[in-house]
Amino acid sequence: METTTQPDVAHEDHHDSHDDHGHDNQHFLTKYVFSSDHKVIGIQYGITSLVFLLVGFLLIMAMRWQIAKPGEPLPIMGAVLEHVYAHNNAGEPVFKDGVMSSDAYNQFGAMHGTIMVFLAVVPLGFAAFGNYVVPLQIGAPDMCFPRVNMASFWSFFLGCVVMTVSFFIPGGAAQAGWTSYSPLASVIPTDGQSFWLIGMILLITSSLLGAVNFIATIIQLRAPGMTWFRMPFFVWAQFVTAFLLLLAFPPLEAAGIMQLMDRVADTSFFLPSGVFDTGSTPMAVSGGGSPLLWQHLFWFLGHPEVYVLILPAIGMVAEILCNSARRPLWGYKVMVAALFVLGFLSFIVWAHHMYLTGMSAKVATFFQTTTMIISIPSVILLTCLFMTLWKGSIRFNPASMFALAFLPMFGIGGLTGLPLGFSFTDLHLHDSYYVIAHFHYVVAPGTIFAMFAGIYFWFPKMTGRKMNEYWGKVHFWGSLIFMNIIFMPMFIQGFAGLSRRMSDGGATYSLVQNPDVTSGALSELIIRLNEYITLGAFGMLLIQVVFIVNFFHSIRNGEKVENDNPVEATTLDWQTPTPPPHGNFTKEPEVHGEPYAYSVPGADKDYIPQTDPNRPKTA
Amino acid sequence: MEIPYNSTARPDTGLYNGKVGIWLFLASEVMLFGALFSAYVLLRVGAEPGNWSMGLMSKEVGAFNTLILIASSATIVLAWVSLKLKDWNGYRKWKIATVVFASMFLIVKWGYEWPAKFTHYDVTFVDDKAAETVFAEVLNKDSYNDECQKHHKEIWSARYNIDGKDWGSVDTKDKPLDGYIVGYYTENENGEREHHKVGQAFGIYFWSHAFAWRHDKRNDGRTTGAKRDTFREKGVVAVEIEPAHGTWDKHTDKHALVTDRRYAKAGDGQASDAGGHGHAITIETSQISRVSSYEPAHSTFFAVYYTLTGLHALHVFGGILVMLYHLMPISRRMYESDPDRFTNRIEITGLFWHFVDLVWIFLFPILYLF
Amino acid sequence: MADEHNAEWYENTFKRMIYWVGGVLIAGTAITYAIDKWGVAEKFGLLTAVIFGLTVATIKAATVIVIFMHLKWDWKFKTISLTLISTVLFFIGMMWLTVGSEVKTYESNDGKPGRIDNTWKHGEHAIGINKPAEIEPPKE
Repeated sequence: METTTQPDVAHEDHHDSHDDHGHDNQHFLTKYVFSSDHKVIGIQYGITSLVFLLVGFLLIMAMRWQIAKPGEPLPIMGAVLEHVYAHNNAGEPVFKDGVMSSDAYNQFGAMHGTIMVFLAVVPLGFAAFGNYVVPLQIGAPDMCFPRVNMASFWSFFLGCVVMTVSFFIPGGAAQAGWTSYSPLASVIPTDGQSFWLIGMILLITSSLLGAVNFIATIIQLRAPGMTWFRMPFFVWAQFVTAFLLLLAFPPLEAAGIMQLMDRVADTSFFLPSGVFDTGSTPMAVSGGGSPLLWQHLFWFLGHPEVYVLILPAIGMVAEILCNSARRPLWGYKVMVAALFVLGFLSFIVWAHHMYLTGMSAKVATFFQTTTMIISIPSVILLTCLFMTLWKGSIRFNPASMFALAFLPMFGIGGLTGLPLGFSFTDLHLHDSYYVIAHFHYVVAPGTIFAMFAGIYFWFPKMTGRKMNEYWGKVHFWGSLIFMNIIFMPMFIQGFAGLSRRMSDGGATYSLVQNPDVTSGALSELIIRLNEYITLGAFGMLLIQVVFIVNFFHSIRNGEKVENDNPVEATTLDWQTPTPPPHGNFTKEPEVHGEPYAYSVPGADKDYIPQTDPNRPKTA
Repeated sequence: MEIPYNSTARPDTGLYNGKVGIWLFLASEVMLFGALFSAYVLLRVGAEPGNWSMGLMSKEVGAFNTLILIASSATIVLAWVSLKLKDWNGYRKWKIATVVFASMFLIVKWGYEWPAKFTHYDVTFVDDKAAETVFAEVLNKDSYNDECQKHHKEIWSARYNIDGKDWGSVDTKDKPLDGYIVGYYTENENGEREHHKVGQAFGIYFWSHAFAWRHDKRNDGRTTGAKRDTFREKGVVAVEIEPAHGTWDKHTDKHALVTDRRYAKAGDGQASDAGGHGHAITIETSQISRVSSYEPAHSTFFAVYYTLTGLHALHVFGGILVMLYHLMPISRRMYESDPDRFTNRIEITGLFWHFVDLVWIFLFPILYLF
Repeated sequence: MADEHNAEWYENTFKRMIYWVGGVLIAGTAITYAIDKWGVAEKFGLLTAVIFGLTVATIKAATVIVIFMHLKWDWKFKTISLTLISTVLFFIGMMWLTVGSEVKTYESNDGKPGRIDNTWKHGEHAIGINKPAEIEPPKE
């Protein structure tokens, strides 16, 4: 490994790859757009996914309006959408007079899920933070395969473009839900579904390339002295996440190819014999396919995907909590073991999404058991994070507050999952708002809070400036309160039996509309909750404006950091220049100790960087 | 800082970067093909009779392709060994051999196997009476010999009895007539029938038949949800079908290969079945329940077949591109500047290639044989 | 290759091995093809034929992995073989669980492959002994 003091020696020989290494005077395009530097790619991922986080949020805002005020024109956006947005297959605007039709509701719903999962949260947690932080934390000059990394981003970007374009083609975007269940998704006559599939294939290709790169980097490019158990927990989390992506995504790619064949080549992978769409004769397809096959393949990805969403978040929270509590990570090795158990078990629980497909009792029992077992490592992780705080002197700043709020929010999300994991309680709760509340507690106040924490935490390293702390705290308290206003009532609605995919928020089934119906109708209170939730969502939108302004203002005008390690962290990512240059380290780092040497007795500071060779005997 | 361990192995893992990367990539490939294989298992176990028509495959072609791919797998490892022995010319020789074998594989697959299936048709009828009429006509023609009967029995058996059991209980209307579309009739505004020949291309046998046509009675009267239907698009009222195999021309002792020869007997370009001398028989569209070439939409088996072999062939194609790159002058320059690193590249290309070979080793028995 | 060998080893030992493996692969293909032509499926049943075919394919695959992909000498990668085997077991287990428990076996199903599915009755192309009752088309 050459250091920067002797640049370009091997360079002449290694013509073929990393042409840009060591050249600081590059063209703008190669430096910031078509870059193979892991930090630039990380930031590209970050910006793209934050944009899509906002897009996904705006989609759900429009849907929330329709749920709270069914049939009333959308304020402000309604008139615009009527003219801008795609028409349905019959050539009529889906936002007629500014009112959201059920077509539009279905499209927004399907795309909200897709965008949030595949275009926003996974790229933000795994790709953006992973790309930026992991090579720094293990002391590597770059990712293992920089150009593969670049290909990964551009494939992702292409996928984003395809998904976005699908809103504006005739017939509009995909409307079969983010799960795209067949046969509906195979026979639905709008082209949006085919765009969705092509977009998914591109996104999957992107994350495969990314996953290979991450694992290879962590195996091969650890700095001297960085043994496996000296790696920060975030790196471990990314390592396991990468394996999940590597092994769980290909089945969905296969399923996507098959559904695309169903749509463009009229095959019958997912179409049983004698399937009807409309009319009185069965569709003219050969039949003999299996709709359940799609569900198996989809959820074989789908469940590991949950852990792809949550593990980077847990990793980040662990980093931030240790740093702000000035305590070593409690049960580091146990947590690593729990990660691996979690990763393995996540492959054998998928059918708990499918209890209502009429599977045999034998199969249901198996998946019920594994689902219960998988809660054990999750609880271990959460407990260890709580124990880390024990006896800590916590520094409260936006990063640590978001990380702290992650713990109870993720806890609520996890515990409310237990009734869904049992097949008998799932019979009642399946496809109701309870499910929505459950997984949003895991992902929205869970993962996204951790993402915010990460942004506040690593922002000084990325830009050399801090984000405004006061407005950061305003952002935190606002987000926390409004998150709970939004999702807590959904548990109640779900228990009452409100189905999750109704474009009028269940108004058709309310007692107000059907005074004669007493059984199965929803009480006025349950329907009224929709309005409070929507108010909460608008409050949430306002509070995010604070964050957006703070973010962009601080890039140029934030308070400058006083040194390269303003948070007094031990890990290698803070032992670099700020922001890190191409090649990351000024000299090759050498690691001498554990990742979380905080408050070590006998040390002169309350933290010992991993690069520091002078360590007390006990450490 | 330069990225370390590109050409030399990391001491504690014993591996260089590319090797870790390619094995991880292969792991994900295993999952990709694994998912398709499990789809195969699930669909096959759940298949209804008639939907798993795997007996229609040409085993000889499959075996030939297997041998080619095995040969290419051996040659690429020999190319790598040549590089290990610092023998550039040997490397070049074996690498070119690999590319040639791989291209042969693709030519057989995309140039012969697939088009031959897209021009080969399968006709089922609306009722037993229609079917019996047609089969009576087929068997009565003096130009059809026993081979035709034998062939159809084989086809029915292959389509309905992957278990090798009796197929006699199948309704006659569901026993497909196997053949090629060689012409069709449309109706003009006066109600008169007009005859059309199906094109002739490149002078190659199978290209002279209709290509990937499709008709299904269930499309009639639909406004939404109708699938692509060539008969509806062209307004076909009757179709000329030449039954497959056994259509030996007694007069010239040759296969009726191309359209011209097929219509030569009648002399006026009209369908020749009237005189009883030609090969094609005319079937009214109203008597047909479904016509499909052996395309993906034909049945679940062909859907699986095209998806699996198509994805595999794309891997072969990608491999060829990479190997061509490794034969270009730029690679020669890299070899001269850093032979170890170039040797490593060939090694990981080889690993990928062996994996492609490996997939085919499994595809051959499950798609062609059993 | 993790274990280093000298040029002499490549020239003699390894090259000979490659030709041997090539021979094994060709022989395997020939045997499978011949057995199929001979009609093993008709004589001993489909299951026997499938098991035989897949066994030969697995042997072929194993030789490719061990020799051509030279896993034999990648001492760090010995774990890969274990992983591969456990993956296969995992795959079989999952297929048994999801497919096996849902589908009736050949014996219990009149010797016909596949299950008698009452959820989706066969439509236009109903044939033979599995012919179900007429379907009631949904009302317009």
